[in-house]
Amino acid sequence: MSERRTLESTLAGSTLTGPGDKLDYRPTAVMPAVKVVKIGGQSILDRGRAALFPILDEIVEARKLGIQVVLLTGGGTRARHIYSIASELEMPTGVVATLGKYIPMQNARMVQMLLAKHGGIYMLPDDFEKLPLYLQMGCIPVMSGMPPFGYWEKREEGTRIPQHRTDAGVFLSAEFLGAPRALFIKDEDGLYTDDPKKNPAATHIKAITARELIDRGLPDVVLERIVIEYLPRAQWCKELQIVNGLKPGQVLAALKGEDVGSIIRA
Amino acid sequence: MTELVSGDGRTHINSRLMRESLQNRGVLSQTDSDRDVQVFPDVTLVSIGGQSIFDRGKGAILPLIEELVEIKRDKTVKMVIGVGGGTRVRHTISIAVDLGLPVGGMAQLVGAMEELNAILLNTLLAPHGSMPMQRDHFWDLPLYFDAGITPIAISVPPYHFWEPPPEAGHLPMHGSDFGLFQLAEVLGMKQVIFVKDEDGLYDKDPKQHADATRFGKITLDELMTKLPDDNILDRELFHAWSHAKNLKRVVIVNGLKHGQLSAAIRGEDVGTVIVKEPAV
Repeated sequence: MSERRTLESTLAGSTLTGPGDKLDYRPTAVMPAVKVVKIGGQSILDRGRAALFPILDEIVEARKLGIQVVLLTGGGTRARHIYSIASELEMPTGVVATLGKYIPMQNARMVQMLLAKHGGIYMLPDDFEKLPLYLQMGCIPVMSGMPPFGYWEKREEGTRIPQHRTDAGVFLSAEFLGAPRALFIKDEDGLYTDDPKKNPAATHIKAITARELIDRGLPDVVLERIVIEYLPRAQWCKELQIVNGLKPGQVLAALKGEDVGSIIRA
Repeated sequence: MTELVSGDGRTHINSRLMRESLQNRGVLSQTDSDRDVQVFPDVTLVSIGGQSIFDRGKGAILPLIEELVEIKRDKTVKMVIGVGGGTRVRHTISIAVDLGLPVGGMAQLVGAMEELNAILLNTLLAPHGSMPMQRDHFWDLPLYFDAGITPIAISVPPYHFWEPPPEAGHLPMHGSDFGLFQLAEVLGMKQVIFVKDEDGLYDKDPKQHADATRFGKITLDELMTKLPDDNILDRELFHAWSHAKNLKRVVIVNGLKHGQLSAAIRGEDVGTVIVKEPAV
């Protein structure tokens, strides 16, 4: 019988399923200076011009200061609408996640149209390899925040809503690019002990670690839970900053590196 | 009736999830039920190993092609085939690790090595009716089946640059075994058959341990308590399967022994059969 013809390598013959922790791995950051920024769907984009225009002004100002920004967009109420109907139809999570790709893409295209005159450029999910060009040209790349998992999104116990949505896409993009912090622009000052829109007694949390946040077992959190779960294992992106885009100056301050809003650390 | 709702500065569309935080556990659980739609419940997914079959070359590949052609003579059999990448994937990753590339970078690279095996397979099987299927062109599948064409699917899942940080170590968690499992799961297929070079799944690597014992028919729950560290299939496959609703059967057979794959396609218990029992 024919033998396996194996290329010599440190992983030759390995099943690739073990932890692989005996490898000599000294990570290289791809583009560590990039600021990966999410514009919230329900929180910002569904508010339209009143909320979005001032935020874009601050982003353009940051870009003029030489700060490299990549924008990723969330979904919002249209995503909730399709998730709701798809759930009634008992669609598998992979189908729900595929449906979830379209709305953030629309939102990215809207933002690109608004930013075009300032160098806004629409980017496909696999276009990270073109980022160096875009950023050196002074562009502001805009892309959907949804990870490309689609039909390959795993089912989570107890729900058919995909675990990896646009917050996860933002974190995973920052992690791939080697950016130390991901920025989330929302319509609240950051993290609260409960949903401040529903519970007036909820109090603001300025800084917290992912572990503390998980241990608190809050009924609701401002970011997708899977991101909090991934944060401690991150190689590069070890901080998540959430700012209120409705308050003038917050976005620019955050892009300059100031600790405004809430910060979740690995 | 569609209805736009405003008043809090945002414009909503009326739906059960309107204004809701999708992080809220109560909201999330409202979307669940005890079943998922099953799109192709009479289809078998066949995964052909990279290291175990393709890296052995002609001597292992051609007899397996012959067996696939025999299987295809029964026009009622509906199958989709995927392939692994084998030793070239391991070489790619070992170089990428040495270079310190991020895990998402590794995940982006490996698919190309598996595609090479898919091209080989299709070149050999095309005269008997096969075609590469584009990434997620699942909705062409009824056409393929009606025409007697066997689709060859892309096995690496499109996690690419977004591969999550691994639970331990530095390697991507979502490989081709997981990718093919997920394809079968999301489309509600009948079973997945992994064609390897051992008679099934063992409690330890049978190539290194003479006393390794093979699992016969076993439930997923029971297997999860005995899963060996170094496994013939991606760990993530078992993890994802345990949360899944559709797939009920995974079979691991020896592709070097003629007839095992055919028997598994017919639904016979051969090799290792892992079954998922419905939740009580």
